[in-house]
Amino acid sequence: MMEQFVQLLVNGLITGTVLALAGVGATLVFGIQRVANFAHGELLTFGAYAGLLLDVTFGENIVISALGAMLATGVLALALHLCVLHPLRGRGLVATSLVTVGLALMLRDVVFLIAGPQLHSYRINQTTVYNLGIARISPGQAIAMALAVVVTPALTLMLARTPLGKSMRATADNRDLAAVAGIDVDRIGRQVWFLAGALAGLGGVMTAVVQGVFDPNLGFQILFMIFTTVVLGGIGSAYGALVGGTALGLVMELSTWSGFAGGLDAKFKPVLAFLALILLLLWRPQGLFGRARVL
Amino acid sequence: MDLFNPGFWLFVAAIAGTYAIMALGLYVQFSLAGLPNFGHVAFMAVAAYAMAILVVRVAAPLPLAVVGGTGAAVVLAFIVGIPTVRLRADYLAIATVAASEVVRYLAMNLTDLTGGPLGSIGLLGPGQVAMYNTSWLGFVDRLVHAASSFTGMNFSRDAVVALLVWLLAVIAIAALASLERSPWGRVMRAIREDETAATAAGKNVFAFRMQALVLGGVLGAIAGMLLALQIGVFSPDDYEPTLTFYAYLILILGGSNRIWAIPLGAGLFSLLYSGTRFLNFFPLSLIDSGARAFLRLFLVGFLLVLFMALRPEGVLGNRRELLLEK
Amino acid sequence: MLEVEELRRSFGGVAAADGVSLGVAEGSMTALIGPNGAGKTTVFNLISGFLKPQGGRIRFAGRRIDGQRGDMIARAGLVRTFQTPRVLTRMSVLDNMLLAGRDQPGEGFAMRWIAPRRVARREQAIRRQAAELLLLLRLDHLAADYAGTLSGGQRKLLELGRVLMTEPRMILLDEPMAGIAPVLAAQMLEHIGMLRAERGVTVFLIEHDMEMVMAVSDRVIVMDEGRVIADGTPNAVQRDERVIEAYLGRTSAESAA
Repeated sequence: MMEQFVQLLVNGLITGTVLALAGVGATLVFGIQRVANFAHGELLTFGAYAGLLLDVTFGENIVISALGAMLATGVLALALHLCVLHPLRGRGLVATSLVTVGLALMLRDVVFLIAGPQLHSYRINQTTVYNLGIARISPGQAIAMALAVVVTPALTLMLARTPLGKSMRATADNRDLAAVAGIDVDRIGRQVWFLAGALAGLGGVMTAVVQGVFDPNLGFQILFMIFTTVVLGGIGSAYGALVGGTALGLVMELSTWSGFAGGLDAKFKPVLAFLALILLLLWRPQGLFGRARVL
Repeated sequence: MDLFNPGFWLFVAAIAGTYAIMALGLYVQFSLAGLPNFGHVAFMAVAAYAMAILVVRVAAPLPLAVVGGTGAAVVLAFIVGIPTVRLRADYLAIATVAASEVVRYLAMNLTDLTGGPLGSIGLLGPGQVAMYNTSWLGFVDRLVHAASSFTGMNFSRDAVVALLVWLLAVIAIAALASLERSPWGRVMRAIREDETAATAAGKNVFAFRMQALVLGGVLGAIAGMLLALQIGVFSPDDYEPTLTFYAYLILILGGSNRIWAIPLGAGLFSLLYSGTRFLNFFPLSLIDSGARAFLRLFLVGFLLVLFMALRPEGVLGNRRELLLEK
Repeated sequence: MLEVEELRRSFGGVAAADGVSLGVAEGSMTALIGPNGAGKTTVFNLISGFLKPQGGRIRFAGRRIDGQRGDMIARAGLVRTFQTPRVLTRMSVLDNMLLAGRDQPGEGFAMRWIAPRRVARREQAIRRQAAELLLLLRLDHLAADYAGTLSGGQRKLLELGRVLMTEPRMILLDEPMAGIAPVLAAQMLEHIGMLRAERGVTVFLIEHDMEMVMAVSDRVIVMDEGRVIADGTPNAVQRDERVIEAYLGRTSAESAA
């Protein structure tokens, strides 16, 4: 039983880190844009497939593939912002949400058209298992962890210490106040979009290698968990997303532990995230770290 | 070639009529009451499943099962509505779509109740194929017979179903158009614009919104059950959020503030949707027919973005009374 | 008519209403005055049900109404206006009036099919009432226009009209004269006076125009920093030291200390 617990803990940390990284980008964008972006999941899908292209078709190693995916997705995100979302700002909450839904459908189905609905995987051996003593992980999980270990501190440092990072956090937290304080909100907005895209691209690659096999529904399946991460951590709070994502991943995995009265059937893990999202929106929309605000 | 096969087009017409009823349900919730319900598909799913379960497992006669399906949708409207109706617009959108996904996931995984990923076929357990629309088909055949003998013309099943569905759609739209012009509709318009002013005028905003939600849910339920009866099978995959966004596109295409634009929107949508199978010219002929489905969805997304960007008032709408601006 | 006891409400640690107690006599014209930020609109919001009190009791015509919803209190006969008039800009002036009509069976969504004659009769009655009121308010020539095209002063009159449609027993007017042209302001005053005289409606208003307040009110209640500091006839209040101090700030004696 304890063995299962530790295994679930490890799995949860890995899932949680993916959510955390994707969540940071999403929350910064949501904080600045102030509208639910239903296309964010598709950025992960795009990243997963961009990385796949580099990995399988061009034979690059996983690091190059991940970097390439990050770059490509960052550019895509920026393009979406510049060409569609920025010109349409001010249309109202529902109208913009519908536009993001339309964009999501377009992105997802372009990937379906080009790559096909069949399952794909990176050139990783799907059958080997690394036995760490306390737990077992797959090569995919190991890669994801390695990427996370490099990226997360760098990201946190960037957000905490650099002027750019501070500006980003300030703008995402309170856009009007940031503008008054002299921050060029439009420029920061563009940079945030690129960063969010890059992190989503990385998240896509990580999800793809952790899952082992994936199809173009990858992003949509994870979209609501990202929403939950964002709301849990407080919309606009980057640190909140880091904590919230990790916490959500842990809770989802650990919920299946047999020590919790038999544990939740693994099939229902996503339902947990959905219910958490609904409950948060109803009772604590500012999440764990946001301030109760009249938006 | 399908293009000239009237049976095909009658089938498309019947689906269009059903979609019109679905969009009408959303119209009541979104255009009348201002509730951006992104989870509308859940009403269709819950009603279809309840109806199918009642027919297949309890051997209920179809009319009773239809009532049961509608009842299930009403219950869902209360469960989802009571907490979410007071939420801010985009939170409501997210909460409702999350709720519809919960419904789909439960349908997918509570296999004993819902037949699991197999859907309606699996309702009697493994090894048996469950069908719930035999009495519906019998009813349609009786209508065909009656129509043919009454008018002397030769009616096909498709024709009768298309006529029936559109008759229902027109009656429903007329009833709701009348409601829109009534004092009830007046209160809705006020609530939509400024709920504080409506409250100050003595209107119970929560109660009115719930009425709109339940009414829209009932229409969604009817659409869901009609769709299920016409096609004969369904599975959880048929109730993805995409279907809700078809309804939004239908409203937007026609003009989201005009109730009589709904048939136009539904017609345009169905035409575009079914029409993609006829795009057999280069370069689209490069895409095989299986992949056409993705092209269709791409088109839906593209149209959503296009219309929201360039013509949010739709084909028939009135820019001044634009609802989507808030 | 209205009794308020120890009403309390804070926002993030700041007490906007700090044990407010007051009473408004039936049929009177009572004014609520005080410097900006004294909590006057908060008290109105608490009384009319748009804000939930955190303590205290409110009685209207003998019945407790604290904690009730805004629409319930409005239907009980206690109706309010807003500092910035909240008219439905995308509806016509007439529709704005019709909306506020009392006891409309047509508002039940099935009623037009169940009892069509009753619905039609009541609708006719409300239309007549609205037409009369619009004529009285001299807004009848604008009846078909969108309320959004009205000027600020006209909107205030329309809001008053909406209040009148509900046949209230008591009205809370939040700065009815603020920001409107003198001609319209005079009209407004005329209508308010008539309300009181002809229909026996109790008027409780927030105002900054001291001249007007002192001239027309039976009673004046003064608030400062969430509390009632004076309550009496206009003359008595005008001479009350605490009131003068509240409006002019601290006396020179204190600043010297």
